Amino acid sequence: MSKPRVAIFDFACCEGCQLQIVNLEEEIIDLVGAVDVVEWREAMSEQSHEYDIAIVEGSITRPEDEHRLQIIRSRAKILIALGACATIGGVNKMKNNFDLNEVKRCVYGKDAEMPHLATTTTRALHEVVDVDFKIHGCPINGEEFKQVVRDLLLGKKPVIPTYPVCVECKAKENVCRYEYDEICLGPIIRAGCGAPCPSAGWRCFGCRGLVDNPNVDAAKEVMEKYNLTVDDLKQKMVLFNSK
Amino acid sequence: MSVNTISKDRFKQFVEALIQSDQRVVGVQARGDRFVFDDLKAADALRLDYDVTILSPRKYVLPPKEPLLKFDGRASYESLQESEPMVLLGVHPYDMAAINQMDLLFSQDEYDNHYMCRRKKMTIIACDVATPSENVFAASMGTATVDSGYDMLLTDIGDAYVVEAATDNGKALMNLMPDARPASEADIEKRQAVWKKNEHDLNKHMLECKPSFLPKLLEKNYDHPVWEEKARLCYSCGSCNQVCPTCYCFDVQDEVNWDLKTGVRYRAWDGCLLQDFATVAGDHNFRKDRAARFRHRLYRKGKYVPGKIGGQIACVGCGRCITACTAKIANPVDVYNQLMERTDIG
Amino acid sequence: MCECCVQNNKDIYLPAPATITKRRMLNGTELYLHLESDSGKEMEYTPGQFVEVSLGGIGEAPISISSSPTQKGLELVIRNVGTLTRAIHKLQVGDKLGVRGPYGSTYPVEQAKGKDLVFICGGIGLVPQRSFIRYVLDHRSEYGKVTVLIGTKCYDMRLFREEIAMWQERKDMTVMETIDEAHDCWDGNVGVVTTLIPKIESDLPKSLVMVCGPPVMYKFVLMALAEVDVPQDSIYVNLERRMKCGVGKCGHCQINQHYVCQDGPVFRFSDLANVPEAI
Repeated sequence: MSKPRVAIFDFACCEGCQLQIVNLEEEIIDLVGAVDVVEWREAMSEQSHEYDIAIVEGSITRPEDEHRLQIIRSRAKILIALGACATIGGVNKMKNNFDLNEVKRCVYGKDAEMPHLATTTTRALHEVVDVDFKIHGCPINGEEFKQVVRDLLLGKKPVIPTYPVCVECKAKENVCRYEYDEICLGPIIRAGCGAPCPSAGWRCFGCRGLVDNPNVDAAKEVMEKYNLTVDDLKQKMVLFNSK
Repeated sequence: MSVNTISKDRFKQFVEALIQSDQRVVGVQARGDRFVFDDLKAADALRLDYDVTILSPRKYVLPPKEPLLKFDGRASYESLQESEPMVLLGVHPYDMAAINQMDLLFSQDEYDNHYMCRRKKMTIIACDVATPSENVFAASMGTATVDSGYDMLLTDIGDAYVVEAATDNGKALMNLMPDARPASEADIEKRQAVWKKNEHDLNKHMLECKPSFLPKLLEKNYDHPVWEEKARLCYSCGSCNQVCPTCYCFDVQDEVNWDLKTGVRYRAWDGCLLQDFATVAGDHNFRKDRAARFRHRLYRKGKYVPGKIGGQIACVGCGRCITACTAKIANPVDVYNQLMERTDIG
Repeated sequence: MCECCVQNNKDIYLPAPATITKRRMLNGTELYLHLESDSGKEMEYTPGQFVEVSLGGIGEAPISISSSPTQKGLELVIRNVGTLTRAIHKLQVGDKLGVRGPYGSTYPVEQAKGKDLVFICGGIGLVPQRSFIRYVLDHRSEYGKVTVLIGTKCYDMRLFREEIAMWQERKDMTVMETIDEAHDCWDGNVGVVTTLIPKIESDLPKSLVMVCGPPVMYKFVLMALAEVDVPQDSIYVNLERRMKCGVGKCGHCQINQHYVCQDGPVFRFSDLANVPEAI
C-alpha cells in the first residue's frame, strides 16, 4: 500500500506552527516514515498536484489567497487547518476591527498602496472552504498534532476536546485566575493545549477558539461576581478574535 | 489497634526515615498560597497543618490518565499495571472517606484490578484536620472524622501527634518510630477534643438535614426549579468534577504509535458536567441540557452512588467544588438546602 | 503482572481475540459478522446481552449480540455510524478483532416460558431481539404464541430478509412487517410499527412484550401498549446508551440511578417508572 501523500502550506501567519512540526525532532523521522511528504515550502523544493492530506497554516487576507486555497482544497482529500490563524483567524483578524485603509497606512506608511499589499478582511480557512479537521492553538500543541495525524493515518476521527480549558487547568492544580479577580478565557475556550498559560501564571488568551457551546449568556452575571464586566472579557478576546 | 504519642521532632525523624526507604512517599506540601499532594523530598516540606489540597488524593488512587492495556494490531492485547508501593501522607478524614467509597465501587460487582492493585500497594497515613478550610462542610456530611480505611491516623495535639496504627502496615510503620510511647489518658482526651472540635468547626456551610435524608429529598425534587436557576450560569467546564474526591467517571481512548499498529489504551478522568459526556456514536446526546448535567452530579452524590454503596453519601464535604467553580454555583449544600426549603419533609 | 493481579487473574478491560468467519452486508449500512473466539471456547451469554468490540488503536464500542446461545459462534450486526464501526466495516473474513463480555441484563428467558410473546422491533432494534427470537424458536415447545412485529424506515433498510421470510413460512409463529415509506417493490404494510399492534392475535394483556428500536420509537409504542392494557411489568425495553467500560464503572451509560451496562440494556418497563432519563 502506498503511503498517504501529505502536503503542507501556509498563508498569512508566522509559520510558528510549522516550526512546531519541525520541533518534533526525532519524531519527524517517524512522521516522514509514515507518510509521503509531497510539498512543504518550509522544508523542501518539490511541488505536487495531488495529496491525501493537506495541512494548511495561516489565515486568508488577500484575494489571491482565496483562489490558492480553493485549488489546495480541490486537490486534497482531507484538509486540516493548522493553528489559530487557520482555525479562527488568529492575531491577523484583529485588523477586522478597524478601517482596512487605515490599518494599511498605519502598518506600511507611504508604501501602503503598493499592489502586493492589497488586503481584504481576514478570514479563517473554514470561512473560505470546507475544513475537515482543526488543530487549534498559537502555536499548536505538538503532542496533539502527532495524535491527530496518527489517527487520520489510521482512518480514525481525531478526538478534539469539546470541553473548556478549565478541565486541563484544574488537572494541573492551578488556582483559578478568577480567585484573584483576574479575567481568564479558560471557561469558554476549547481545551487540548494542557493549559500552559494558566500553569505559567498567565490567563488563558483564547488561542484555541470558543468551545462548541460556550455559555455566553452567563458572562455578565459571573463577571459581576468578581467585580468585572463583560467589556473586560470582550477586550481580552480581541487578541485572538476567539470565535 | 495501638495508640501512641510521638513528639513533633521525633515525628519529623520518622518522616525523614520514610523518605529514605525504598517506597515512594507522597505528602501534603505548600504550593503558592495553597496546598497540594506531591512527592515528598524532605520532611520539612510536609505540611500537616494544611487546610485543604487543590486536588484530592484521588489523583494517586485513580490517576488522571492511566494505561489499561497495550495492543499490537487489532486483536492482540496485554494488560498493563502501573503501580508501585506508595505511602500517602496527610490524608484528611473527608478524603479518606472518599477513598473508602472508591475502594468499594472498584471492587464490588466487577473487580477492577488496575485500581485495586495500586490501592493494595498503598499505605495511607491519615491526619485529622488542624486548620479548617474556607469552604469545608465535612461536619455536615459526617466525615469530619473517620474511623477506617487508613493504616495510620495522626492527630495534632499541640507539641506532639497521637498516632494510631490500624493495620499491619500501620504497625510496621510504628516500628520506624522507636521513640513513640503509649498514649497517655490525657493525650487520648486531647485527641477526643480535636475530634469534637472538628465535628463542630468543619462546617462552613451547614446542611439543613441529615445526609441520610438526601436520597429521599432528591427523589421528590427532580423537576425543581433550582436546577435551571443554578445551571443557567454553568460553563460546563467540569471543574467541580475535576476537584471532587469522589468523582470517578472515566473516558477510554487508544493512542497509537507511528507504526500505526502498536499503542496503549488509556483511561482518563472525565466529568458528567462536560457537554459530550453522554453523547453516543451518531452524535445523539442523552444529556444535552446544562441543567440536566448539573442535576446529574448532585443526584450522583446524593442518591445514585449512595444506592450502590449502602447509603453512604458520595459528597464528603471537602468544599473543593465550591472554591473551584468559576460561576459560584457548585455548592452542594446550597442546592440541597434550597430543596429543603421547598420540600415537605413529612 | 504483580502478585495481587495474578490472584485476581482477570482484567475486566482486556479483550480476547476473535476471528471473523462470515461477513455480509444486510443493507447499505448494516454489516453482519459471525465471529469465533480464538480460544475455541464458546462465550456463555443470554439473549439481550452485549459485548464490547475492540480494534486496537481505534477503540472499543458496545455491540448487541444478535445470535442465540443455542448456536455456535457469535453474531453481531454493526451499523456504520462512527470511527470504530467504519473500521469494522472494512474487515474481511479471517480478520481478527477483540471482544470482551458478555455484559448487561438479559431478556426474561426463564420467566417467559409458557407465555405468549410479542416482539416489537424498529429498525436495528431487530438485532438484539433476534437473539431471543432464535432462542425461543430453538426451544419452541416451552413458549406460547410468538408474534414478531418488524418496522423499518424504508424498503432498502430491511434486515435479515431471508430469515424473516423463513419465519413467515412457519406455522408456529406470526411475523408482520411494515415499512414507514411506500416503495414500488413492496406490497406489504406501510406505516410505523405501532400500526401493526391492533393486528396482534395473542391475548396482549397476558403476553410478555419485548420492545427495541430507535429512541423516538419507544414513546409511541409504549403509549399504544398502554391503550390495549398491557401491564407495565409485562413489557421489556432494550435501551442503548454510551456503554463505554461495560462493567459499571466509567459512568457514561448512566440513566438516573441505573448503569445501562449492568442494570440494562434490557429493563422491565415497570422498573423505569422513576427513571425519567430512560425513555
